[in-house]
Amino acid sequence: MSCDTQFVHLAWQREEKELAKVEYSMAADPTGKVARMFGVYLENLGLDLRGAFLIGPDGKVMNSEVNFLNLGRNIDELYRKFKANIYLTKNPKEGCPSKWQDEGDKTLKPGPEMVGRVHEALNR
Amino acid sequence: MNEIALRVGDLVPDFKLTTYEPKTKNFGEFDLAQAKKDGKWTVLFFYPADFTFV
Repeated sequence: MSCDTQFVHLAWQREEKELAKVEYSMAADPTGKVARMFGVYLENLGLDLRGAFLIGPDGKVMNSEVNFLNLGRNIDELYRKFKANIYLTKNPKEGCPSKWQDEGDKTLKPGPEMVGRVHEALNR
Repeated sequence: MNEIALRVGDLVPDFKLTTYEPKTKNFGEFDLAQAKKDGKWTVLFFYPADFTFV
């Protein structure tokens, strides 16, 4: 989504071959109201920062990542965080370490025996 | 100046936006209240503007 209208979204998606496979909704936020809600609207430029936000089915913000205008985001990392959130919703007593990629990878269950022993838990 | 922005853990106020739907080549609507009703996760992916580069 950006501050462009749905008409410009259509034109861009039709013209740019990099977008040929896009299936997601392209939302129009011409007044920047949603961009302002998330703090990514640049008032002096009328542009949005490169922000990615994951919202749970309960309407809660679960992740936020914001890059400046000139740096793209890594979709693999966004997808990793998405999968981790789904996993953690089902397994609320666990934590996903930084190297966690997918269900089945090692997670951490915080407790007294793990204090100061994360290294051992990760390398068991 | 932006008003205070949402942070991780905050509840997002419901909003609706008009969309372009590449799958059907038609216009549509995104409604956060509906996404919640459907039990769906939502990814909001902001970028500066159409026809920008990275």
